[in-house]
Amino acid sequence: MTLRVNDLKVHYRTLRGDVHALDGVDFELADGEIMGLAGESGCGKTTLGKSLIRLDGRMRHVGGTVELDGEELPIADDRAMVPFRYHRVSLIPQYAMSALNPTRKIGRMIDELLRSRGVRPRKVADELRRRLELVGLEPDVLGRYPIELSGGMKQRVVMVMSTLLDPSLLIADEATSALDVSTQRSVVESLVGFRDRGYVKSMIFVTHDISLVHQMADTVMVMYAGRIAEKASTRTIIEAPRHPYTRMLIGALPEVGTTTSDTRLEGIPGTPPGLLDPPVGCRFRARCPLASEECLRTPPLTEVAPGHRVACWKTGA
Amino acid sequence: MTDVPGTPGTADPGTTGAGGERRTSETLYYARRNPKLLIGASIVLLLLGIGLIGPLFIDHGPNQYIGPQSTPPSGEYWLGTTSFGQDVWAQFVHGLRSTFLTGTLGGGIAFLIGTTVGFVAGYKGGIVDEILNMLTNVVLVLPGMVVLIVAVAYLDVRGLVVQALFIGLTSWPWAARAVRSQTLSLASRDYVDLARLSGRRTWRIITSELAPNMSSYLVMSFILLFGGAVLIAAGLDFIGLGPAGGVSLGLMLESAVAWSALQLGLWWWFIPPGAGITLLVGSMYILNVGLDEVFNPKLREL
Repeated sequence: MTLRVNDLKVHYRTLRGDVHALDGVDFELADGEIMGLAGESGCGKTTLGKSLIRLDGRMRHVGGTVELDGEELPIADDRAMVPFRYHRVSLIPQYAMSALNPTRKIGRMIDELLRSRGVRPRKVADELRRRLELVGLEPDVLGRYPIELSGGMKQRVVMVMSTLLDPSLLIADEATSALDVSTQRSVVESLVGFRDRGYVKSMIFVTHDISLVHQMADTVMVMYAGRIAEKASTRTIIEAPRHPYTRMLIGALPEVGTTTSDTRLEGIPGTPPGLLDPPVGCRFRARCPLASEECLRTPPLTEVAPGHRVACWKTGA
Repeated sequence: MTDVPGTPGTADPGTTGAGGERRTSETLYYARRNPKLLIGASIVLLLLGIGLIGPLFIDHGPNQYIGPQSTPPSGEYWLGTTSFGQDVWAQFVHGLRSTFLTGTLGGGIAFLIGTTVGFVAGYKGGIVDEILNMLTNVVLVLPGMVVLIVAVAYLDVRGLVVQALFIGLTSWPWAARAVRSQTLSLASRDYVDLARLSGRRTWRIITSELAPNMSSYLVMSFILLFGGAVLIAAGLDFIGLGPAGGVSLGLMLESAVAWSALQLGLWWWFIPPGAGITLLVGSMYILNVGLDEVFNPKLREL
């Protein structure tokens, strides 16, 4: 088990009170697992991704633990997290376009990063070249400035950079959202390749794009309003989701695998609840077609089948 | 002014394992082909040269009464004489020298304080920002000229260096504010975030990620501070608080006005110092634009 997150609670401090962005998140990530993390905007996906590597100034770790390879991550202590970053946990930022310093040549930037991590650039120079070739880049990009590269090339440079030290966990936060579809595909394929070659042990892929998740992820975790709604293998999530939210989310997509559809796609009516003062019980209650009395109590995340966990009272129905 | 810490031009050689060896030659390549840089740099260097070398060829002091009074430029007195018979050319070259000194020293001190305060406040944020910003605002609303007059008037030692020091200590706030606001916007970029993620020290992030991306802005600040220091020095000189027995372009300008050179038509008395200051600050501005084009890969043209 690479990653084990227990009852993680992270709040945002605001003047009006705490925003419960992550409110008791529990999940595990197996070795070699690529997990897609899906959900609407504001459901806590990005917050979860950030919590695992670096809490920003407004975020406060309220409770819960994160274990990586059996070792607890000191996520609330920014200083203590430093040795873990890039070595053990790494991140591909949301906009790779702006992740490269425009006044630095790429090779120099990578060297600086390595040196700040206590790694001699020479020691990994060959590996760096090999990996650049692997993602289809000439090693001479190292002598270039970021503006000389296309968006997709920058994205691949950032990917190589983030994974150069073979982290156990890679967090890709909307890593492909700013790219066109064909580039997305090659980026996704490279990421899977990195996992297959053991450059990264496991990966959390944060995205809105379920069809992209379908292509690459082994499992999918669906979040809703700061909690986990459902986690299962990709196949199960697409074909037999149990949580009403997941069902509606999948139903709102053009069907994966088919080209025509007779019925009009339905959206999910309503909006997610505000997390400043989250509703009691199941958070999806107000928008759920199946909601009833028992939904006033918070549904536990229960395992309905091996590897398939759902937080809903209605899963039996 | 070009040695902003961490500008790409000052790359430490030999440490790059992957790429970037052609750095220096590449910068030179663009520098040599940039007309703005060449024009600006040659004028500044020319003036600097005149200020440095000129006085060596003049065997009399700039304030000595040596020639006939109020003569226009001639072969003997290249820029004519004042209404007291002082050699304007001698005054000009000496004045240029002290103007460079005041500008560099006063502007330099102000630049150092201003950028340091600005970077730290903008990058650190929070309580550090609050305190530094308060300090900046306090110094900003002090009537600088009055403080200078009082301070300089009570000082026993009165030389160029002390004058420059005081100018430097009072004229940094706007630079601090400008740098702070730039830093605030740059600090939210992803690459700064990634650098922060790697646990690099604050000053390393400032010098390697923030400063190079605003190097032209920094050079610009220095040039404006330089010009400001020259003008403030001229103002102080005018009210008799300048370096005792010294000479500067500002002092020349003011004494020309004080002795009605304008009304008497002695144009050779006030045009050289005025043109000198204008030319110096103007060509430094052009130089700055050129430097920007050389150091910022986005602005490079082949």
